Amino acid sequence: MEDIAITGIGLISPAGIGPSAVLDAMCEGRTFFESKHGDRTAHKKFPWPEASLKTPDMPWPVGPGWVDLKKYANTTAHQAVAVAQLAMEHAELKPGQFDARLSGAIVASGIRTDDLMPILGRIGEMAANDKRPLARLLYEEVPDFSYLKDIPSQVGQFVCLATGFRGSNLAMYGEAGVGGIGSLALAMRLINSGELERVMVVGVAAPLPVAHLVAMDEKDALGSEASADKGPFAADRAGTLPGHAAVAIVIEAATAAARRGAPMIARLSACETVNASNVHTALASAFTLVTGAADCRPDAWWAHGAGSRALDLAECNALGEALQVPVTGSKGTIGNPFEVSGLIDVALAAEGLRRGQLPPVGLLNKIDRELDHLDIVVGHQRQLDNARQVVISTIDHRVEAAGITLIDRHGGWTHG
Amino acid sequence: MGKRILITGIGAVTPVGENAASFWDANLAGRSGMRPELRMDLTGLPCGWISSVIPDEIKETIKRRWSGSNKSWGDTLMRASVMEAIEDAKLELKTDKPVGLAWARVWPGPSGSFPDDYVEFIRRTGERHSKVGSQPGDIVDYLRSIANQEPPDTADTSSFPREVSLVLERPLLTTRVDATCAGGLRAIAEAARLIELGKVDVAIVSGVVSRSNHYTHSQYAQLMALTRWKGDPKFASTPFDRRRTGMVISESAGAIVLETEEHAFRRGRGNAYAELGGWGLAVDTVHLTAPSQDMVERVIQEALARSHLKPIDIDTVNAHGTSTKLNDLVEGRALNKVFGDKMKEMYVSAVKSITGHGSAASGVIEVIVSALTVSHGMIPPVVTCTDPDPECGVLTSLTPVKQQVDAVIKNSFGFGGQYASMVLRKPSNMGRNPRFDVHLA
Repeated sequence: MEDIAITGIGLISPAGIGPSAVLDAMCEGRTFFESKHGDRTAHKKFPWPEASLKTPDMPWPVGPGWVDLKKYANTTAHQAVAVAQLAMEHAELKPGQFDARLSGAIVASGIRTDDLMPILGRIGEMAANDKRPLARLLYEEVPDFSYLKDIPSQVGQFVCLATGFRGSNLAMYGEAGVGGIGSLALAMRLINSGELERVMVVGVAAPLPVAHLVAMDEKDALGSEASADKGPFAADRAGTLPGHAAVAIVIEAATAAARRGAPMIARLSACETVNASNVHTALASAFTLVTGAADCRPDAWWAHGAGSRALDLAECNALGEALQVPVTGSKGTIGNPFEVSGLIDVALAAEGLRRGQLPPVGLLNKIDRELDHLDIVVGHQRQLDNARQVVISTIDHRVEAAGITLIDRHGGWTHG
Repeated sequence: MGKRILITGIGAVTPVGENAASFWDANLAGRSGMRPELRMDLTGLPCGWISSVIPDEIKETIKRRWSGSNKSWGDTLMRASVMEAIEDAKLELKTDKPVGLAWARVWPGPSGSFPDDYVEFIRRTGERHSKVGSQPGDIVDYLRSIANQEPPDTADTSSFPREVSLVLERPLLTTRVDATCAGGLRAIAEAARLIELGKVDVAIVSGVVSRSNHYTHSQYAQLMALTRWKGDPKFASTPFDRRRTGMVISESAGAIVLETEEHAFRRGRGNAYAELGGWGLAVDTVHLTAPSQDMVERVIQEALARSHLKPIDIDTVNAHGTSTKLNDLVEGRALNKVFGDKMKEMYVSAVKSITGHGSAASGVIEVIVSALTVSHGMIPPVVTCTDPDPECGVLTSLTPVKQQVDAVIKNSFGFGGQYASMVLRKPSNMGRNPRFDVHLA
């Protein structure tokens, strides 16, 4: 199979723009949690602190076709286009420099945002007294194109417009999404099968609908405090803390990347996601598949580290014995951006490899005794100048699915 | 395509039958699932007063057998069709590898799958809004104070993969896709890709749609995409007919079992419905909803090229055929461009003429029909195309056509610039599955 290179990353997180902003924040012990959700002027505290995007001005593109399309785009689409453009710039991809038919996009994003709910709430109030039949009321009162806005692969079409990619557009989400790692694994397969030579995987984690958060909290409690020692692996951790982010990762067949003189950020050596009867089995199966597919000798581990009592334990039990290397995780700093959590960690792991650094886990001073046999990075970054390979583990918070990704440092490998 | 990938099991629950056998029966008989939509008041909508939903008696049978606590109707349908396909394949795993699972579940909208669900959803949403408005903190308090009984569909994630993993006693490599109405074919392509790359020897593909509620009808009506037919509902979906006015929203589920020929032989399976050929995939950004002829041509040409076939090798086309003015015209013109004079004698089938449009699920159930077309040499009629539109230039039949079929082209296109085309062919080294032989009499 062809070597696959990561050649471009676009990332917008609560820490700012780019993976460096997140790593700097992790190294400096900064976090971004506030007890607000969506509407930042809300009068009442939200029970679960979230790390939200303080997005810079991300104007909708201008030019042929873009003006007319704005009305079909929701917040997710805006952010997806923004990170796609960042990734294109980072990958030094310009129109005409690549075969558009051999380039494709995959969107990793949940189908849900809260955009429509206030509108439906108002309509629901109207319906109680309005003489119009409900279908007609919706036809006349729901803004045009709302249905199209909610389609994940519609976001992919915008990404294809922004990138010029015309080979394929697909969204992958839900139970198979696994924090975007499902999309990354699919992207690898598209390249390995020869269908495409490059894929941009784009993911947006927008604020989840409130009703969803309530349902998630009932199943596995969300964190209610973002204070010291409430973070991942902490003795007093009490649930995952939501976060929002948008990320785009460009991967290319190494020969195609070399042909156009692309920047080689890292090698994507292996990536698999598995659904199973339980999380432990899913993790173990994914790990077995990855170690079977690539030479697996990681020097560091970016763990999912949800901050959930049960999931952190399950993750460490499944992988701890096999991975006796320094461990970190991002969710104590930028929260858990469910749909794209794995993609974010891949981006951060690549940046960490470039720097030779493994940052400490946020909101963690005292490690849970059940986990203290692991070498979890606490307080200060770990210098790993000679680190060549990192493993990233990802768990879906809602179903029994897990993903394992292996990346190698640029320069730590050669391609043909 | 390196390995030979076979379709060895099929399952379907549709408006015209509770299993694949009755579905195939209906296709050959041209028996329609269209009915006036009486479950909700659609007065005032400019279009879309006809639906094609699974009849209540079939729903009850399926629920009795496959439903479970807190299981959404979409999951129940998937389970029913997947289990039928596994049973049909007499699947016995003779591999240590995981199993592939690719599926496309069309989200029903912000409620469950049924109009009554939606009415209740709007009532509760309105009640909540009147009491607490849209402030997130207030909404949390409110939801915690009541029994939060949203239908299972609203979470849009399910235990479906876990259940399949338990049934097969194997971890799964899963792919849940959205490629709008091309999603079914796309799911099949991604399952086949898992097999081609050697990651699995067996894969299951499923597509399901159940979304006939006020919200979906109103939104498609905004797009003017739905039928404006006022005559016999059975003729509401009229692909390639001069009188076509739009699509009919459908409800269905389909599943297929794919496996390598080598695995099939290893477990003693000597027959299959069809072999997957190559496929063509593409995206364009010209328009959000309208198809482009050149893109349709492109994916058909790519499917042929990857199958090492020429247009002359194709015996029939199973069209996307939505019954909208534009789609059928574009597809017809593209087919004529690719196949030329062959279009004058090559019959085209259009399953949506009897089932309506099930988005991604249509891709899977229509591949089932394509596979049976290949295995049984029977091209289903398009009984609603009684006044063919010469602009489309497509030959259809009002009765089943019995002929040797070695290769079929299956097309699916969708919103968001989605295009997919796939070849299915007669398996080289396998016998025909005798399950449907009664129809050869």
